[in-house]
Amino acid sequence: MIDHKPKIILFQCQWCLYSAEDQTWVDTQLPVNIHLVKVPCTGRINTLYVLNAVQGGADGVMISGCLPEQCHFKEGNLGARRQLDQFADFLDHIGYERNRVRFTWLDLQDRGRIQRDLAQFEADLTKMPKSEALATRVGGHHD
Amino acid sequence: MSQILPKKNLKQLLSNWAASYEIYAPQQLEKFAHFMPTNGSELLYIDEQHNTRFPPKALFLPQSETLMKYTRFGAAQETIPESKPRIVFGIRPCDAKAVDLLNLMFLTEKDSDPYYQARRKKTALIGIGCNIPCPSCFCTTVESGPFGRQGMDALLTDLEDIYLVRTLTQTGKTLFAEYPEATEAQEAEAKAVQQRSLKLIDPAFETKGLKAKLDSNFENALWQKFADSCLGCGICTFLCPTCFCFDIADEAQRKERVRNWDTCMFRTYSLEASQHNPRPTRRERTRQRVMHKFSYWLDHVNKIGCTGCGRCVRYCPVGLDIRAMLREFNQLEAEVANG
Amino acid sequence: MTDLESKLTAEIANLLDDKKVDVFIAFKKAESPLHPQPAFFTESNQLGDFVYNSLCQNNLAAFIPRYPLSARIGMVVRGCENRAVNHLVVEKQHARENIFMIGVPCEGLVDWHKLVNRFGEEMIAVDEAKDEIMISYRDRQIRAPRQELLHDSCLRCVHPNPLSADVTIGELKPEGDPTLARTEVAAFSALDNAARHAWFRKEAERCIRCYACREACPMCYCTECFVDHGVPRWTESTVSPAGMRAWHIVRAFHQAGRCVSCGACERACPMDIKMTYLTEKLNEDMRTKYQFECGMDDKTQPPFAAFNLDDKNRFEL
Ligand code: SF4
Ligand code: SF4
Ligand code: SF4
Ligand code: SF4
Ligand code: SF4
Repeated sequence: MIDHKPKIILFQCQWCLYSAEDQTWVDTQLPVNIHLVKVPCTGRINTLYVLNAVQGGADGVMISGCLPEQCHFKEGNLGARRQLDQFADFLDHIGYERNRVRFTWLDLQDRGRIQRDLAQFEADLTKMPKSEALATRVGGHHD
Repeated sequence: MSQILPKKNLKQLLSNWAASYEIYAPQQLEKFAHFMPTNGSELLYIDEQHNTRFPPKALFLPQSETLMKYTRFGAAQETIPESKPRIVFGIRPCDAKAVDLLNLMFLTEKDSDPYYQARRKKTALIGIGCNIPCPSCFCTTVESGPFGRQGMDALLTDLEDIYLVRTLTQTGKTLFAEYPEATEAQEAEAKAVQQRSLKLIDPAFETKGLKAKLDSNFENALWQKFADSCLGCGICTFLCPTCFCFDIADEAQRKERVRNWDTCMFRTYSLEASQHNPRPTRRERTRQRVMHKFSYWLDHVNKIGCTGCGRCVRYCPVGLDIRAMLREFNQLEAEVANG
Repeated sequence: MTDLESKLTAEIANLLDDKKVDVFIAFKKAESPLHPQPAFFTESNQLGDFVYNSLCQNNLAAFIPRYPLSARIGMVVRGCENRAVNHLVVEKQHARENIFMIGVPCEGLVDWHKLVNRFGEEMIAVDEAKDEIMISYRDRQIRAPRQELLHDSCLRCVHPNPLSADVTIGELKPEGDPTLARTEVAAFSALDNAARHAWFRKEAERCIRCYACREACPMCYCTECFVDHGVPRWTESTVSPAGMRAWHIVRAFHQAGRCVSCGACERACPMDIKMTYLTEKLNEDMRTKYQFECGMDDKTQPPFAAFNLDDKNRFEL
């Protein structure tokens, strides 16, 4: 059990939130324990970004992007899904539990889902111990 | 005149020292010997005939070391280590000599490196000679030997169940003050062991005139031939007890300025910010390693920068052998310098 | 000279004399018995030093990306090296028609780590017979069963035969058992997270960042590796846990769908660090998720270079 709110890094594709309210919420009202990294496309998320988040002490990493066939850049998300999914499995192989990396692939009608998914993720992470495997810069700086 | 340390007393001796010293001695890491801290209770790995895989230079010049810490607005703080007095126990003659050579780089009259100095000044080196040198050892070729004493405070000779201790400095004398003198027979036995060992090492190459041959064959095609097989990895230089190159970097996330070992075998070693690289290919890099040790060191401090430990020979993943390389140069002519 | 060596010498001499290749990559004798040296023959009269045995530790395909595409390269290849060549062709690192492979069905490599760990550094010669390895010291000789000294990657090798060599010398070996290759990954995966993590740390944190694993790997041919990148810096530059773990994670991950299981990385490591338990996991996932095995031909793109709408529903939504 984590005694404080789990630290979550959210990598968000800037096109995946179809409703303006959702995007405004993410841009301005994310809880402080969720750190936003906005990317032009999930295809732009290098696995090293994810690793950096994990080494920085992230208890969980959420990646939100568009469904297949809805990518702004046609197929950025297709490659990203293969790679990032594999990377999450690979991190699990060396001890960073698989359920600490979560994907949310959003559709046009998924209004409000990002809030729900983040809340669920946070609730799930709270039930897990603090992530220690791989966290090598805990107490890191955020200024 | 020497003293006797029965092997069964070693643990006790180390734990006595541990009260006032930090002690490092070879212990088993995986399947090889590695210098690690001990207080006498650990199992040592010094009866093995061969040296540690990783060189003890790291005890003086760690592979990565924080030079200073900084904050966003405050002043930077240097992080010069405050080490307790230390004893490095079980260091081999080639490695002790290498530390002595490093002193020439880091402890000069004019300018000393405070990080190195803080560690070196407080460290005693208790060496152990090599009864059976590895076939890859060539210390005798480069002015050392399996019972060389340079750099040490005391040298041990392994005589089955005792060590014969030859103290070499005041520190050495103090450390072994309570041990009895060796008998003449024991002295003679040690001498025989030492001579037997010495005979096991053949000269590896000729050092006389080598520098001139290297200097005048700077553009020789041999360098390309060697470089063809070389992978450009860090093994030969990181494991070398005398290689001392480092690179300074800022670890911004930690707010630390660090220095890390660097090596002339890496492409990035001489890469400039403009992307120009004065040593653009493996040819120049392979040449640099050999030239530095057998020519430039001589220019700077009139010493060969190699102590013959043989690590680069043993662990090079492509079997590039510095002895063989130098023998090829032995066979070349040194051009007569005209004036 | 063994029978195999004389046959190979004859083939190589022909290729060089007929000017069919510009360079022939193989091995030559080195003074240290454990490491025959990769050699680059351009004339048949240089072949006097030629050697080919189970101590030839390197994957010679690692040298291919050093040459321009137009260079006509000859190579002696074992199963894994052939697959590495195939995959380098897929990645356009050379043109298949400019590579001439002499294939040798592989008996498995003798791991120098296993030799040194068991027999010490005092060996002066190592010779081999069919099932035995003879180790000589200054004053005595020891024999050991070959099987006990083979590199782990060779013990689990599935394809010891060259798949697409231009000539093959020697009798084909039976294919390896694919389940064997998987048992080890499966056993590791069956450990709990903490145990897997502990193992990973124990291995990774002994690393000295010499990058020999990278340089020895045929697939690590990037001009600038992520660890060498200064701005932005992707990982810590130091031998801190952060830096060393990142190196091990990302180097292995860059091999996903690209690794031919040769084990050259592990054999190059001076610190006896295990790393094929990382790449084998990725290889296994590539097999099960994408039915892909690297290097089986010289056309098929690896899973991360290709994508398919068919895997639309394979991921959690
Ligand atoms: S230049 Fe190369 S050979 Fe010389 S000390 Fe530096 S790393 Fe070693
Ligand atoms: S260890 Fe061998 S391959 Fe690596 S840089 Fe040195 S000479 Fe080259
Ligand atoms: S990662 Fe290792 S086993 Fe895989 S291809 Fe590279 S060297 Fe071979
Ligand atoms: S580790 Fe990755 S970036 Fe580095 S050389 Fe290998 S493939 Fe390239
Ligand atoms: S070869 Fe071994 S020590 Fe060198 S970088 Fe690779 S894992 Fe680290």
